[in-house]
Amino acid sequence: MDKGKRFDTIRARIKENFVLSQDKIYADKNRLDISVSKQRTPAILFFCKEQLGFIHLMHVGIVDWIEDGTLELVFMLWSPTEKLRVYIRTRLNRENPVMENMDMIWPQLNTYEREFKEMYGIDFKGLIAAEEFLLEDWDGPPPMLRDFDTEAYAQEVFHTRPGREDAQDVREAIIKRSQEEIPDFAKKYSRQ
Amino acid sequence: MREKATTLYLGPQHPGITGNMMVRLKVEGDTIVKATTEVGYLHRAFEKLAEKRNWLQTFTLMCRFCVPEPDPMEESYSRAVEAIEGRIVPERAKYIRVMMLELARIGSLLLWHAGQAGSTGLYTVGQWTVGDRNYILDLFEELTGARIYHMYIWPGGVRRDFPEGFADKVLKTMDYLEGRLKDYDNLMFENSIFQKRTQGVGYVSPKQIIERGVVGPVLRGAGIRSDIRIDDPYEVYDKLDFKIPTETSSDIWGRALVRREELRQSIRIIRQVIEKMPEGAIYNKVPNPQKWTIPPGDALARTESSRGEIGFYVVSDGSNKPRRVHLRGAAYVHAMTLLEDVLVGQNISDVSTIMNSLGTCAPEIER
Amino acid sequence: MQNDSRSQKIVDIIQAYARRHSLWILAYGTGCGAIEIPSTMTSRYDAERLGVRGAATPRQADVLLITGYLTVKTLKRVIRVYEQMQSPKYVIGFGSCAINGGMYWDSYNTIKMLDQYIPVDVYISGCMPRPEAVLSGFGKLQDLIKAGVADGPKRYEENFDWYRANQKKIIKNWNFADYNW
Repeated sequence: MDKGKRFDTIRARIKENFVLSQDKIYADKNRLDISVSKQRTPAILFFCKEQLGFIHLMHVGIVDWIEDGTLELVFMLWSPTEKLRVYIRTRLNRENPVMENMDMIWPQLNTYEREFKEMYGIDFKGLIAAEEFLLEDWDGPPPMLRDFDTEAYAQEVFHTRPGREDAQDVREAIIKRSQEEIPDFAKKYSRQ
Repeated sequence: MREKATTLYLGPQHPGITGNMMVRLKVEGDTIVKATTEVGYLHRAFEKLAEKRNWLQTFTLMCRFCVPEPDPMEESYSRAVEAIEGRIVPERAKYIRVMMLELARIGSLLLWHAGQAGSTGLYTVGQWTVGDRNYILDLFEELTGARIYHMYIWPGGVRRDFPEGFADKVLKTMDYLEGRLKDYDNLMFENSIFQKRTQGVGYVSPKQIIERGVVGPVLRGAGIRSDIRIDDPYEVYDKLDFKIPTETSSDIWGRALVRREELRQSIRIIRQVIEKMPEGAIYNKVPNPQKWTIPPGDALARTESSRGEIGFYVVSDGSNKPRRVHLRGAAYVHAMTLLEDVLVGQNISDVSTIMNSLGTCAPEIER
Repeated sequence: MQNDSRSQKIVDIIQAYARRHSLWILAYGTGCGAIEIPSTMTSRYDAERLGVRGAATPRQADVLLITGYLTVKTLKRVIRVYEQMQSPKYVIGFGSCAINGGMYWDSYNTIKMLDQYIPVDVYISGCMPRPEAVLSGFGKLQDLIKAGVADGPKRYEENFDWYRANQKKIIKNWNFADYNW
């Protein structure tokens, strides 16, 4: 059976059980994209795992769409028997991101949730884990949000070595130091 | 009589720990009753930095995710970018990429030999394998100009074609390595200390492994024939002939045998690649990197590294900088939750053996 | 008096000779530079012929190799480790990210100048520095010890307040014991 047909079967089975806001198929890329609301996400993940055989969680991606005011979570599932990919997308409100804890479906989601909590400030209801994951004594905003300016923060907090302020022409400095002649053909690449 | 529990901090400064991380152990006598992993010592915020770099600048960051084996990271990122953009990679470049990946796998496996044997007290293995790894690094150096971070596989192809006589050198190195393999067997796998320290230690049930999404040699050591190179073929792996070794014991010994065989298979793949490699272009030129924009979209590229499946999730919003680059490391799924469970009931002296065997790589978790 | 200073000089020379030929490095791979240390220590480059070898604990080690970037979390442990080491002790900063931040110049979690936080004797540049560069760095350190200018602990003690202020600026929760110098 070709991939398009198998995708159709999967889509039909999901549609039987859930009312979906939107779904698209990228058959050429070996994947099925499904957008769902955040309330429905745990149920559909569980359904895909238990009923459709998508037992392997490849990755959970997270994207900060600051223009839309949302955080997008992408659960990427893989079926080792069918060799197909299903992406389940859900969007959270960026101002107050709350989601249900889902680490009973896949235990490794616990690690992902800990990271997202720290890096994006998503509150997973019912997550049992230590407070800190990667950062220690961090008191700023969640750093992976797009409005956190890492360069300004680094300038403010850390000492920087003088001489890195701007992009200098290294060759000029070398010529000055070593009195080396620069060949004619190389001069046209000079920044001046 | 119940012994009093003591808390023991293993790492971050500890020679047996794989990388800069910490395992907090609660021990009763010599037996571990609770283990907690603590990471974050290597968090450099690559994924944050990528927001400010353009597509090509990001690619120089990507290889630094994992030190023992940077090439799968480069390849995976490049392939994700190509998938979004629809860029076609020349056939020869694909073969060169496979060769690089396999050379990197060999280098990483040789380093693993050193770590795994060193953690059981066999330090001579490390002297030999790390010494032999230098021959692989020499090949990298001749081809790419660098020993560790090559920045060679980039979106659109590879950066340089073979220098003159390079293919022969690769084959010669493979012959040399193949001759050395029986020495490693003698020294390591037939050593009764190594066997006693690994057989039956660090058992993980296959059910647990599948449930947790653990990949790579750990999965194959539990008797499941799963490899991204076969399951979800990329580059030219579907045109090559190689075996996926499996073992059923699911302990450190089984995983060691899987890796031992993988080393042989990698040598086999490299020979085939050199033989089948076509002539032609190596690079589908990208535009001026400052102006190079990629149409909106997202892609996940999966690559089999020596520690298992890694994946790059790359999102583009149509600008000249990536919206999001998100790595899924092989160690990400097991180092926190699985390791904590496996260590319970084990001996303190086996912690480092188990960590080496699972392939825990701290920078992959923290990024 | 003159006799005393002369004998002191001889003692210094012998001390420096002994110290520069037994540099034990602490096995703490703080960053990705640690990948070249196995190559440096094993058969091809064999750093042990120069007296360089690994030591497992801070108390036995002479050299603290900072292999690459230091995150804020690691910096706290590195300071702790450095203060636990016994004099004479030397620090080698390894890789361009230890020198000036390298490619992590705008990262919020890595320090940019190592010598603001602990006294550094030798920097080895490069990303990664090759084993030859590492060996040449150790050679440089040996020269400095011979000349008697590798005096990191002295600098640390004399400018202790400055170093501590810098460290405390970054490490917010300073919850470990202050050592009695």
